[in-house]
Amino acid sequence: MSLLDAKTTPAPTPPVANRRTRAIAVIMGLIGVFSIFVFGFGSPARSHSSFTFNPINLQNAPWHVGSLTVVTRWTDVVLGVVMVALAAETYLRRPRRGVMARFGFVAVLFLLGLLSWAARTPGPSPTSSVNITAILVGSSAAAMVLIFGSLSGVMCERSGVVNIAIEGQFIGGAFLGSMIASTTHDFFFAAIAGMIVGGLIGLVLAFLSLRYRSDQIIVGVVLVTMLSSLSSYLNLQVFTPFPNFNTGILAPNLPIPLLSKIPVLGPVFFNQSGFFYVMIVLVAVVSFALFKTRYGLHVRAVGEHPRAAATVGIDVIRVRYVNVVLGGAIAGLGGVAFMATQGQFQVGYTSGYGYIALAALIFGRWRPSGAVVASIIFGLSVYLSYNLVTYNVPISLYILQMFPYLITIAVVAGLIGRVRAPAADGQPYVRD
Amino acid sequence: MTFFALVLGLLVGAFVIITTTPAVLDAWRAIFHGWSGLPHALNLTFNNVGAAYRSMFTGSVVDPQGLWHSITTGNGWTNTLTPISETLTYATPLVIASIGVGIAFQTGLFNIGANGQAVIGGIAGAVVGSMLHMPTVVHLPLTLLAGIAGGMICGAVPGVLKAYTGAHEVIVTLMFNYVTYAFLLFMVLSTPFQQPGQQNDIGRTMDPSAQLAPLFGTSSGLRVSYGVFVAVAVVVFAWWLLNRSSLGFDFRVTGANPAAARASGINARSVIVVVFLISGGLAGLAGVVQVASTTHYIDGGFLIGNAGIGFTAITVALLGRNRPMGIVWSALLFAALGVGGRNMQAATGIPLDLATVIQSAIVLFVATPVLVKEIFRLRSVATTSVQLATTGWGS
Repeated sequence: MSLLDAKTTPAPTPPVANRRTRAIAVIMGLIGVFSIFVFGFGSPARSHSSFTFNPINLQNAPWHVGSLTVVTRWTDVVLGVVMVALAAETYLRRPRRGVMARFGFVAVLFLLGLLSWAARTPGPSPTSSVNITAILVGSSAAAMVLIFGSLSGVMCERSGVVNIAIEGQFIGGAFLGSMIASTTHDFFFAAIAGMIVGGLIGLVLAFLSLRYRSDQIIVGVVLVTMLSSLSSYLNLQVFTPFPNFNTGILAPNLPIPLLSKIPVLGPVFFNQSGFFYVMIVLVAVVSFALFKTRYGLHVRAVGEHPRAAATVGIDVIRVRYVNVVLGGAIAGLGGVAFMATQGQFQVGYTSGYGYIALAALIFGRWRPSGAVVASIIFGLSVYLSYNLVTYNVPISLYILQMFPYLITIAVVAGLIGRVRAPAADGQPYVRD
Repeated sequence: MTFFALVLGLLVGAFVIITTTPAVLDAWRAIFHGWSGLPHALNLTFNNVGAAYRSMFTGSVVDPQGLWHSITTGNGWTNTLTPISETLTYATPLVIASIGVGIAFQTGLFNIGANGQAVIGGIAGAVVGSMLHMPTVVHLPLTLLAGIAGGMICGAVPGVLKAYTGAHEVIVTLMFNYVTYAFLLFMVLSTPFQQPGQQNDIGRTMDPSAQLAPLFGTSSGLRVSYGVFVAVAVVVFAWWLLNRSSLGFDFRVTGANPAAARASGINARSVIVVVFLISGGLAGLAGVVQVASTTHYIDGGFLIGNAGIGFTAITVALLGRNRPMGIVWSALLFAALGVGGRNMQAATGIPLDLATVIQSAIVLFVATPVLVKEIFRLRSVATTSVQLATTGWGS
């Protein structure tokens, strides 16, 4: 009994963590106030917003879901008040757990408020509407790629190697994936090729940083530079003279019978390309392997305290090699998935997704589940930054496009220190 | 050591050329049908790789035939000197940006955002240079200062975030690069700054009073400008800062041993912020020098892709071991690779990106000195490479 008590008694919160919690609460509060005054009182009193839920492709929607029309001003005011209330609760109670979840919840509420503001039309009968299902389906593609990337990050960083070359593995996977998919018309081969190229890049990173103990971040960044210039070079040498190698073929959707007909959820989760289902299986496999198996225990031991792990007979270097190569393969697969949803390979079209995936990994506290939630939020913001201009938003497309990156910076700045990386993350390991 | 890395980098480049040129590949495939194809394959390989590297050299340093022609006949000097002038033009902003990155590296900080900072510096300089009108004596310094200030603002953000929240500078500066690209497109496509009467993504042209004039006059046809003196001043400043000032000593101690720095009473936070201010300011200066000495206006492709001097600056700083003079040599080398790459693209059709591939290969080898040592079976070589002060995402 006393043992149990000792375990559950919370350790006193260090003042730094307190300050950070308060800072996050203040940010949440500011977002709420912004929503109340800009989205709420910034929209005309009588304007209404309409949300629809039917997928664009009605084939998979036997159930018709009616549209939801709300008064823009008061909806946004209520959303903002909820955000402020959450912020106040966080500020006053300073909960030790769940701050991140609250922050994520505020982010989702903010997006809802933003959407209803963007859909506002004067008068009680709205002429245009925001299609929630279309937005979710659209952002699921970005989220899927980010999930692949952050899973790769989980694999590598849990074993103590910072894989900043995820962007490079995306590029490699997308390039080779496009080539294989265009020639064989088979995404299975494309996926295999992407995994091989991603794994090879991971192997180079592992080789240079484990065997020669080069700085992992420098090697990773130089690898990304190399791959992006190599892809640009090969694009001109191979894809320009032989356009048949880069036809921009898209992976077909594989609707799951019955499940794909569920309103809203069906099109989002059960009418996707094969990559999406592979991604879901991978999340489960990685979580299980890392936290429920002997292998996962070894990996986490190596990432936290390699010397102790070596003492009990774990081959630190081997575990790291295996994980970095596997992580690279996952990121390479993500590159193929990106290409399979975006089409034709273009130079620089991964536009920093690999780095956003790293931020999602940090936001998700180096856990697969957290990384998934973070990737969904980032995926939504990436999608909206490109597509919000089609609605009633008086902001330049280019200003909107800054937001996913600014949000990433804010998240990283707000969370480092609150969340703890694996202790040996990025440290070279020297055998005794 | 650096020389061996260079050789390996060029070998990687040759390998890339061979594996992507269909004619050469066909010749090698013929070997499988009989050894008689071997001389032809070797010949073709040397011809292709040789032509590529030869055109790189003649396009960036000097064309021997042209030189001989100029010496014997006394004319055609413009054509003969153009390659070296182009290399210097390219190297000038590169030296400035690389010194900024190098100072950050010496402190153990990684400024990948140099490109974004240079973009902001270029925008700030172009705005001041095109929208204010003054005599040269005031206008040019003001333009350069605007560039420095723009870069400083952009560099201050990751510095302050790193110092006060522990956010890793790598991710913050990388994200800032994308933010600055979006900002660049916004600027060159919206009213006050877009070139009047233009629908495309082109900004206003700088006044002649804000431009860095060509060194040998406009009539010479050589683009190398007074910016060279700015670069020289920056090199001297950096040498003084790192080797003679107490601030620079603090930087280097922080980079070499953060724990010792803390123990000796160096304020780590202010060091981080100051380093990022200097690094960002220099990158911004590089951006404004780039605009003021070459195109005199900014378009939507400013410093994007191959032209991204901020990214080349990282590799230059690593190759130059972050020391001012080392950076000057490696900037000249990489500028020659870049300029020569353009000539290679025109002469042989091999894409310019090969130059970047070679550059990054060189730096990979420089970053892993032990590997080079093993490949060439060298003995007793300094095998230290750059290590960042913060590994992982630590705070």
